[in-house]
Amino acid sequence: MRLFPRLRFRTKLNVGMSAILIVMALLLLPMVGTMNARSLVEESKMRGAALAESLASRAVDSILARDFLRLKNMVDDLVEVDDVVYAFVQDTNGHVLTHTFHQGFPTDLLTVNTVAEGEPLHIQLLADQTRRIYDFAAPVMVSDGRLGTIRIGLSKVRIMRTVQQQITLMAGLFAGALILATSLGTIFARRVTARLGKLRSHAEEMLTGNLNTQSGPESGVHCWEMQNCTTTECPAYGEKRRRCWYIAGTMCPDCDNEGSFQCRLDSCRLCSVYRENAGDEIQDLAETFDVMAMSLKMHIDELREAEGNLREQQHLMRTILDVTPDRVSLVDVTMRYQGCNKSFAQSVGLSVPEVSGKTDFDLFNEAEAEERHLAGRDILEFGRRLDTQMEIMDNGVKRWFHVVCIPVLNEKGAIVGLFRTDRDITDIKGYENQLIQAQKMESLGLMAGGVAHEINTPLGIILGYAQLLQEDVEIGSQIHEDLIVIEKQTKVCKKIVADLLGFSRQTESAKREMCFNNSVLEAVSLVRHTFEMDQVEILTEMDDRYPVIYGDPEKLKQVWINLLTNARDAMNGNGGTILIRTRLDSPAGIVSVWVADSGEGISQDALEKIFDPFYSTKAVGQGTGLGLSVSFGIIEDHGGEIQVESPVPEDFGFPEIEGERVQGTIFEVTLPLDHGSDTTEELDEVIEE
Amino acid sequence: MKDVKMRLIVAGSKILVCCLLVGLLMALAACSGDEDPIRVDLSKRHTLVAPRQVEAITYAYLPQYSHTTSYERHSQLIEYLRQTTGLPLRQIFPDTFDEHIKMVARGEIDISYSNPSVYLQLADAGAAAFARIVEPSGKPDFRGQIICRRDNTSIRKIEDCKGKRWIAVDPGSAGGYLFPLGLFYDHGISRGDFKAVDFAPGPGGKQEKVVLAVQVGAYDIGTIRKGTLDVVAGKITQGAIRVLAETRAYPGWVYASRKGLDPKVVSLIAEAMFALDYTNKAHHSILSNAGIRGIIPAKDADYDPVRELADKLGLRE
Repeated sequence: MRLFPRLRFRTKLNVGMSAILIVMALLLLPMVGTMNARSLVEESKMRGAALAESLASRAVDSILARDFLRLKNMVDDLVEVDDVVYAFVQDTNGHVLTHTFHQGFPTDLLTVNTVAEGEPLHIQLLADQTRRIYDFAAPVMVSDGRLGTIRIGLSKVRIMRTVQQQITLMAGLFAGALILATSLGTIFARRVTARLGKLRSHAEEMLTGNLNTQSGPESGVHCWEMQNCTTTECPAYGEKRRRCWYIAGTMCPDCDNEGSFQCRLDSCRLCSVYRENAGDEIQDLAETFDVMAMSLKMHIDELREAEGNLREQQHLMRTILDVTPDRVSLVDVTMRYQGCNKSFAQSVGLSVPEVSGKTDFDLFNEAEAEERHLAGRDILEFGRRLDTQMEIMDNGVKRWFHVVCIPVLNEKGAIVGLFRTDRDITDIKGYENQLIQAQKMESLGLMAGGVAHEINTPLGIILGYAQLLQEDVEIGSQIHEDLIVIEKQTKVCKKIVADLLGFSRQTESAKREMCFNNSVLEAVSLVRHTFEMDQVEILTEMDDRYPVIYGDPEKLKQVWINLLTNARDAMNGNGGTILIRTRLDSPAGIVSVWVADSGEGISQDALEKIFDPFYSTKAVGQGTGLGLSVSFGIIEDHGGEIQVESPVPEDFGFPEIEGERVQGTIFEVTLPLDHGSDTTEELDEVIEE
Repeated sequence: MKDVKMRLIVAGSKILVCCLLVGLLMALAACSGDEDPIRVDLSKRHTLVAPRQVEAITYAYLPQYSHTTSYERHSQLIEYLRQTTGLPLRQIFPDTFDEHIKMVARGEIDISYSNPSVYLQLADAGAAAFARIVEPSGKPDFRGQIICRRDNTSIRKIEDCKGKRWIAVDPGSAGGYLFPLGLFYDHGISRGDFKAVDFAPGPGGKQEKVVLAVQVGAYDIGTIRKGTLDVVAGKITQGAIRVLAETRAYPGWVYASRKGLDPKVVSLIAEAMFALDYTNKAHHSILSNAGIRGIIPAKDADYDPVRELADKLGLRE
């Protein structure tokens, strides 16, 4: 039963028309055939009667004249007619005057049909072995007398053959009509199905994404041409792909744009443009289809644009999320992860998509998962945000994280998830500890400064008295020697006290225009002699352009001395070479100084901590660990950078010692030529004030 | 493949339709007889022998009209004569005037009823007049008429007939040829002055044929026996024919007995004829059917004026 719906439209149309014609034929042919047969039989009877009566009237003269030849000719003429089987003439006594039979006369015919007196005609159906015959008997009348009888036999077979021919003709006509109707129907259906096929192919093209198809006819007159319209701002003006009645907001005075689309169409039906261009339902469908395709294309373009924007936004958001080192994640109320950033995914060893749908127990060890889960459940239940710091084992290393977990609310205010960020604050924790330590050291420094200040005076008095006493005692005496020792140790104490005072002194920054090379060379000249005592040679490669910077000469000198001292200490008393080089980089607006030594070098672990306060590789009592951190602070204060590298790079051009390359260490200090940052800071201060 | 299947289904359905129609045709052919026929065997044949005609006195009417008209006019008269005389009379129907004359001459016609013109030839063949009719006009004589179409304005008088096409009844017709020819002769028109002179085709109905030929315009003028227009009144458009002229009266139709016919028979028939009375109801029908008012005795000398006319026209040998 599924066959009919699967049939093509053309076939259905043909089957329908054929069915109508067949039913008509089945209904009409028997009825018409019967009517036709009856009418033909009646017609034949009438014809037979006419023939008989005609012969009866024509035979009068011949019977009267007993002209048998003429009578014979008359009856012979009759049988030349197709369906006349026989004809004969009887006189008043029933004797046959003439007949058309060749071999005798069939005597059965003499009495089978008689016409009574007063009757104009009698028709009798006869049947011989093979056929049926209508026998017509007509009296030959003259005046009031009767001369005889005319007998004519009409073959019913021939009548029925005629009936059959008629019905065959009608059946042929029906068959012809059927063929014609199916042919015309096929042509018509082809035209219709071609248009429907075009629509279908366009629909298929639409499915493949081609929305630039044109299903409707391109012919027709456009409204602006037909109406001689000059309203170029009308949306229908210049529009060739859509009929004006499909366009909203047309400005034609005949258009009714107030009502609904249907009302508009009602007004359009009266418009000459509509009457000129409107077609049948299929054209309407095709045009509506085109309008739909255009609208769809427009909406798809808008959607694509929106999608592009959304993708850009998403990409931006993803970039922001992925770039941030914080571990960002979002879970739903079932505590399943809905999303995360790259940092979070990397921390759990998965890709971002793999995290979706997982729970804490899938991502973390049991203890941590339990902790996170309970914290999350608590927030989901009470809606309180979590803001805490946690120490977590991360790849076997203890790290500090600042955890913020915020409930996500929908527009109704209900909690629909949790947003959590884990920020790695291990470094900040380190700085925090360092700050605490620095604060301790500052307090200690202040205290030491105070103590030193207090001790300095008694030491001065002790030194003064010791020197005075030396004048009072004999030179070379034990007392004198002892006093020299006292003086010497007191000076040592004073030096220590002076250093302590120097370190703890809160001196103001005194920056000014200064010669960079001179600052370096002053420091070199200060230590050169002392270093030479320790077999340490200082080589200088100064930039001959004598760059000028804005800085604090004293503080910078302290930095250079510190670096030179560290370089000397790196030799471990074995002596060596220190190369100090300055270079001006005008385009970059910086000046650099490199202090390289031929010492043992520094390990990688030590390099990371070298600028930390109180970190020292020297033996206890030989260094405070403050030198480089103080130097770092001074350089940062000048807007510069200080870096360290060990061993010395080959391309630096350090002179080889005894043909061997040295390990050594190289410090690079970069300072800006201008002092814009300070100016900016000053400006900021002014604004704040 | 699906398309091919569908096409096969459609083609099959069309063939089925044609078969249905043919079947229907057969069914219709089979169910159309609804009468009970009489069985006959047309193969049982016999050679028929015509019945012999009984001996009878033959009576013939000059075939100026069709045989049917001749029969209709005289059947009652013959029946009357049979009953009155007791003689076996039979009307026979010669096809032409010539045949009539020859049959009288050969003795095949015993009693001839002919016009005066033919009678002259019958008399020459030995026949003898014994009775003549009283015309419906009540006179024992009759006239010929020259007719033309009423709308023929070119013929106003007899002289206008010169150069015209003329149709006459028969060369042997008295009223339809001989008498009008005499009239034309008297008006200085001979037979050669006509554009054409034709005679009505036979056999029978010749008077009517003249009228009809003039009416359809095949001929300009026609000549007929007076009274013919009444006979053809139902066959022509009323008023279509105009009578241009009439001839003088000549003795009417004549009954003649063939040479050698038994005088007793002649007298029996003549008496019966003379006994017919137009006022008698029974006789009235007989006489009016025959277009006769009565039958009166006649002798050959009554037809001398006709002989003179024929002689004048040079028609007698």
